[in-house]
Amino acid sequence: MEFSPDTPWQKVLDAVRRWARINSPWAIHYNSGSCNGCDIEILATLTPRYDLERFGVKLQGSPRHADILICTGPVTRQSRERLLRIYEQMPDPKFVVAVGSCGLSGGAFRGCYNIVGDISEVVPVDVFIPGCPPRPEAIIFGMVKLLESLKKGKAEVATVSEGAHA
Amino acid sequence: METQRKFIVPIGPQHPALKEPGHFQFTVDGEIVTDASVRLGYVHRGIEKGAENRNWTQNLYLFERICGICSHVHATALAIGVERLAGVQAPPRAQAIRILMAELERIHSHLLWLGVAAHEGGFDTLFMYSWRDREIVMDLLESLSGNRVNYSVNLIGGVKFDVEDKHRDAILRGLDTLEERTRHYLNVVTTDRTFLARTRGVGTMSRNQAELFGTVGPTARASGVARDVRVDAPYEAYTLFPVNLVTDEGGDLMARFVVRTKELFESYRLIREILDHLPSGELTVRVPRKIPAGETVSRVEAPRGELFYFIKSNGGEKPERIKVRTPSLCNWASVMQVAVGHKLADMPMILSGIDPCFSCNDRMVLINRGSSSQVWSWDELRRYGIEYYKKL
Amino acid sequence: MDSEELIQTAMELLVPWALKVNRPEGNRLDVFVEPHHLKEAVKALVETQWGYFSALTGLDQPPAEDGATEGHIEALYHFCRGPVVLSIRTSVPYSNPVIESICDVIPSATLYERELMEMFGVVMPGTPSTDRLLLADDWPEGVYPLRKSFTGLGEQKLEETDGNAA
Repeated sequence: MEFSPDTPWQKVLDAVRRWARINSPWAIHYNSGSCNGCDIEILATLTPRYDLERFGVKLQGSPRHADILICTGPVTRQSRERLLRIYEQMPDPKFVVAVGSCGLSGGAFRGCYNIVGDISEVVPVDVFIPGCPPRPEAIIFGMVKLLESLKKGKAEVATVSEGAHA
Repeated sequence: METQRKFIVPIGPQHPALKEPGHFQFTVDGEIVTDASVRLGYVHRGIEKGAENRNWTQNLYLFERICGICSHVHATALAIGVERLAGVQAPPRAQAIRILMAELERIHSHLLWLGVAAHEGGFDTLFMYSWRDREIVMDLLESLSGNRVNYSVNLIGGVKFDVEDKHRDAILRGLDTLEERTRHYLNVVTTDRTFLARTRGVGTMSRNQAELFGTVGPTARASGVARDVRVDAPYEAYTLFPVNLVTDEGGDLMARFVVRTKELFESYRLIREILDHLPSGELTVRVPRKIPAGETVSRVEAPRGELFYFIKSNGGEKPERIKVRTPSLCNWASVMQVAVGHKLADMPMILSGIDPCFSCNDRMVLINRGSSSQVWSWDELRRYGIEYYKKL
Repeated sequence: MDSEELIQTAMELLVPWALKVNRPEGNRLDVFVEPHHLKEAVKALVETQWGYFSALTGLDQPPAEDGATEGHIEALYHFCRGPVVLSIRTSVPYSNPVIESICDVIPSATLYERELMEMFGVVMPGTPSTDRLLLADDWPEGVYPLRKSFTGLGEQKLEETDGNAA
């Protein structure tokens, strides 16, 4: 059976797909040159105190299973190609969350010789979460923002500035 | 096909600190690892060069961000070295606050490691429990410094904040809970049968090996090498608050678990003592903008072992050269030697046993010497290890 | 043994090769040796189990501006025992930057040596692996970032931060 974009069937299928995606987004985490600070906060977000899994977010090992790429740190020369490869292996539609100040601008490492730039210079970023490192609450807030914007369709670029407070 | 089956198994590359991120290649013969090599540099940022273009104060913040897990010890090592070059010393109260933070950081780091290492062994319950309890110490660190990670405690010439009575009470309450929990963990890592099957007699490093390879920190102490900068060359307030060394003769993974868990008790004791005898007085001294020319070596004990800084000043506002040798680099070198002869299924545990802060989720490729190849992720290797041991 | 005794034993061990001995700080001893004597000096320490090999620092001494003196790379082999830090220092010219590897005496030295080779362009015959360790795969040959003459790759210059910002 073939579906054209406008058939009622297709609309129902789209709605089901979106519903499923919003309720269980799978994420892959890649560190492209960060200091580890953001990475331990992402892990802390997944553990019982903050428990990101209540939003259905599950950390995945393989990019082919992932909807969301959570990326930390400035992009170093050596990891640039890796980052691109991971991004390309993810199935569409895919979203990128940049965590931490150095992922946004290079941060403290801006100007070092092995830094290519920030994450948005390499892959398109949907949500920016600033902080050095951002608090787990801010990371949750960013993820929720992304999920909310998915309800409307493709995410608009969002910067999480509030929500950093406890 | 049957006899000449050798594989090269690359693992990594992802691991998030200055030089620690590694990409490994294990050559395996059947199930046994016959050769191991390492490729670092995925997170190499060029900090040592960057330091030469920043002034001393800016460098304090840059070096704090070498590693987010042990950020405080990096800043302390730099601050101590620069103070020594400038011929000043932080006031006694500042010194005590520095080591108080260092011990709190050690608690957070060891609990973090306990969880991650348990996760690699397929023991996710312990992972979740230890990370839940770790939040207690994270709250304490936050209430003292205002940040959960990268506390930014140090200034060149002192510390930024004071420890008040309300902090003191909160810390003591937190430590009581943690002590009780730690006793439980010590019980788990020494008696849980399934866990012992993954740790006892695995990755054994003899005392001689540990001496020769220059292993540092808990990894060395688990092999019976009494090596701890806090004891060997006490810095800051460690001269006032001596540390009792924790060693174990086992040398295997289990010994590394036991040593780290017992070190937690030592940290609790030390923090209580520091809080009881906190010296009074100023928090900072004045340090000139231009640091006199000279060279110095600054060594501190990070949660993972000896951290080594070589600092050279040419008398200006910026350093001439800062060399950093992180403890994990020492331990990488030794683990590569120890890995040979072990089963591939043990690799995740052996690697995480030196506490390289392995938050790897990356890909690895399993290459047949012939033509076919198969792509594995770190996660799949971990699961492979868990499944392998289930069958036994 | 207290630190004074430790320093004395180290000095006695290294006397046959020492060009110059220096005591920069109470717990430190610097011994200057010729590059071709380095391995024997290290061997003497290892055989008597004087401490452990802790770090290998490279220092760049660029040539004088008028070209009167040649540039040198100085390598410092740091050994630690108790409170004492012993540095065996040796210096090689840009034109012949060769230091023999010490890996057959201390196998774990390979990582430090690879770092020195990449960062300063020192040639170390006898080291088991000369693969790239830290720099990116696409890093150009013959560019050594920790030499003072390195100011960035091609277009990309290292950012100078001015000293007033803090």
